[in-house]
Amino acid sequence: MRISIVISLMALTATGCSKEGGGTGGKSSGVAVKETAYPENVYFGDTHLHTANSVDAFGFGVRLGPEEALRFASGEKVMSTTGVPAKLDRPLDFLVIADHSDGLGVTKRIYDAPRLLLRDPLLRRWHDMMHESPEGSQRVTAELIDRAAKGTLPPAMRNPENQKENSQKIWTSHTAIVERYNQPGKFTAFMGFEYTLMPGGNNLHRVVMTRDGKDRADQILPFSALGDDDGKVEQLWDYMEAYAKKTGGKMLAIPHNSNVSNGLMFELTGPDGGPMSAAYARKRARHEPIVEVTQIKGDSESHPFLSRNDEFAGFGDAGWELGNLTMAIAKKDSDFAGEYVREALKRGLAIEAKTGVNPYKLGMIGSTDSHTALATADENNFFGKHTGNEPNGKRAIAAQNLGTREGRFGWQYLAGGYAAVWATANTRAAIFDAMIRREVYATTGPRMKVRLFGGWDFADADLKGDYVKAGYARGVPMGGDLRQTGKGAPSFIVTALKDPLGANLDRVQIVKGWTDRNGKTQEKIFNIAWSSPETRKLGRDGKLAAVGNTVNIAKASYTNSIGAAELRTVWRDPEFNPDLRAFYYVRILEIPTPRWVLFDALRYGAKLTRDIELIAQERAYTSPIWYNPKA
Amino acid sequence: MREPLLHFLVAGLAVFLFFAWRGYDIDPASRRIIIDEAQVSRLGKGFENNFQRRPTARELDGLIRDYIKEEIYYREALRLGLDSDDPVIRRRMRSKMEFLARAKAESAKPDDKALQELLDRNPGKYASDSRYSFDQVYLSAFDPEIAGAKAEAVLAKLKNTSDWQSLSEPLSVPSRLDDTPRGDLAKIFGQQFADELTQLSDAPKDQWLGPIGSGFGIHLLRIRKVTAAAKPKLSDVRQMVENDWRAATLEAREAKAYQTLLDGYDVKITKP
Repeated sequence: MRISIVISLMALTATGCSKEGGGTGGKSSGVAVKETAYPENVYFGDTHLHTANSVDAFGFGVRLGPEEALRFASGEKVMSTTGVPAKLDRPLDFLVIADHSDGLGVTKRIYDAPRLLLRDPLLRRWHDMMHESPEGSQRVTAELIDRAAKGTLPPAMRNPENQKENSQKIWTSHTAIVERYNQPGKFTAFMGFEYTLMPGGNNLHRVVMTRDGKDRADQILPFSALGDDDGKVEQLWDYMEAYAKKTGGKMLAIPHNSNVSNGLMFELTGPDGGPMSAAYARKRARHEPIVEVTQIKGDSESHPFLSRNDEFAGFGDAGWELGNLTMAIAKKDSDFAGEYVREALKRGLAIEAKTGVNPYKLGMIGSTDSHTALATADENNFFGKHTGNEPNGKRAIAAQNLGTREGRFGWQYLAGGYAAVWATANTRAAIFDAMIRREVYATTGPRMKVRLFGGWDFADADLKGDYVKAGYARGVPMGGDLRQTGKGAPSFIVTALKDPLGANLDRVQIVKGWTDRNGKTQEKIFNIAWSSPETRKLGRDGKLAAVGNTVNIAKASYTNSIGAAELRTVWRDPEFNPDLRAFYYVRILEIPTPRWVLFDALRYGAKLTRDIELIAQERAYTSPIWYNPKA
Repeated sequence: MREPLLHFLVAGLAVFLFFAWRGYDIDPASRRIIIDEAQVSRLGKGFENNFQRRPTARELDGLIRDYIKEEIYYREALRLGLDSDDPVIRRRMRSKMEFLARAKAESAKPDDKALQELLDRNPGKYASDSRYSFDQVYLSAFDPEIAGAKAEAVLAKLKNTSDWQSLSEPLSVPSRLDDTPRGDLAKIFGQQFADELTQLSDAPKDQWLGPIGSGFGIHLLRIRKVTAAAKPKLSDVRQMVENDWRAATLEAREAKAYQTLLDGYDVKITKP
């Protein structure tokens, strides 16, 4: 592993300077940061990392706080909780530490509290269990998540007033650390937290992040769902609006793990069970422009139950598809449609057809949701979902610690994903604004570089020249709306460059969703570019032969003797109907590579049972481009 | 922390601390308990911290009763020697000691001199990157032999043409780079490319050479200019240096606190 410090000197040749400092804070050491005219660089980061300030992360054993988390993400070496030195071989460009606002620091406080003062017998028992052993601590955490889901936490923990002073202390010391590590142009550290709404164990969590610096963030406290058993996500949106009003700053919320929401994350109906109102749809869309589609706890892009014609729909679904987060309630067939993002995008069109507003106009990012304070997302450096499963030989076959232990096992964790952001600079303002306009994509870890532009007159010739410039000049990038100016069908510039340190690419696909004449939602997947086109031809059904497999199971290795370094094409929708609403997003597949479990087998002699998935095709999902005939 | 020796040392320390603490705090042989005003207000304050309000008179009485009960059981437990082999007690006391050492270091503030020293010890770390201006022609190649032959053929052509860009296979990376920091190059092409390019810093300028490898294949290069990293000024990198200083100081003070204690020990280890 090597240090790679990226110090951008672009500032010295600045043509235009960002408005950093106008509330977005951060220490720039007086050096201005250049913003490019359009996004030239993609920045990779994690918007969802937990540290010792998260109730469950601390309970699971992590002792690293925000400082270590920021040092690690920005490329420094830290000592993991279990005593393994850890360093990213490639630093991240940005990080959002998203500790649970609910009971911020409370497990640490139970742990540190003088036993005498813990009057509540349950808190006292937890205190003792945590001091007894790491296993005891993990049992406490499982109980805690369970009780949070059932709304049966001890009153002392639920009452936000009780929590306030404590949260205030943790929050301001947290924002101070984040501010110290924010270095515009080099490494962006965002203020944020996680809002942990989960009625009955149905995951409705959101990561909330701000565009702003400490001066604004310190005017508020992270918003918590624990105090109210009948919590509604609208309360969070109200809080976000209040923040904007009070401070002049901006926040956005990122839903995650819709795959364990038991159908509640992307409902067709409004909160009262009736039809969704335009006002509600508008409010949701305003606060939630992007969704975390892939992370350690599975992938929420698609499921074979919903997408029977998609042979790649099952990635990261095993285990998670069985029930909600705590496994308190099993999943019903009717739940699936409200759980997966592709379906949500389709539902968004259907709701828009009725109300005029699309509540689910979502860009896509990946992140880790790691509870180890270490933002790792690669297969060969998976540091575990939490400290209880930091690298060891047993974690792949161990039952998961989340809630009850039915039917979910360690190997079903993914190594985590990253958020890729096309921004005009590596600053809070530029990255946040790119998220607002959804110029982002999700990766399951590899740092592929993916471009998507939609327009009406793109042609193959554009790929010969500066297609990025052409893309911005004559079309819209990922996350945008096709302007209604064209004749014929829309065309798309799509390029996908492999991760320079990663696997070659198998194929590029367009996922199209639309509402048909009867208002029913439809989807179709088009293979649009792939490796070895001389030997791999499209079948009549539009399917493509598998790319092959070079994975050496015993060595946890693969070779780039198959696949392509880059795939690029201009694609025109052959089935376009100008009267119908539609969206188009791109899915990139890498060639098959070893999953983290194989590295565990190699390094720790982990025993792998037959049901364990050993290889996978890692991938990226772009934000869609939408077409609306009425726009 | 998997080092058995360290575990042993720390365990030894915990035992020592326990006895040391016991020594000046309470005499377990005593059967007299005095609850003075200071103790009562400490109890009340603790309650307030936890519950964000003052205890009622009844609650305060309850706290006092509970304190007495705990005190009695505590002393009786010591009398029975229950403390000596309890892993919970040991771990708890150790973490308390570590917490104390850390809390002290966290409040420390560095002066310019300390920061300048840290900067001077490791200028490379804080220096802005060296920057490179060059043109590159990309050739896809997985098999090294084929790659070598391909590179040679294209290199020959490059010498006789000004239309070098047409000899490159398409790849979505810039073919012409201007004053690009090394770190950005590592992001675009991969670390291997950045390292090999660094090796070529002193190679002749304005002529085609290579190939060097990247995650995509191989590249022929025409280096136009290399600008060495500038010596960092403290004012430009102060925050970064201070962050490192703080992290290092925390670690060092913790280690030193432990070392000071350890130095007072005579530790004998016999391995089976």
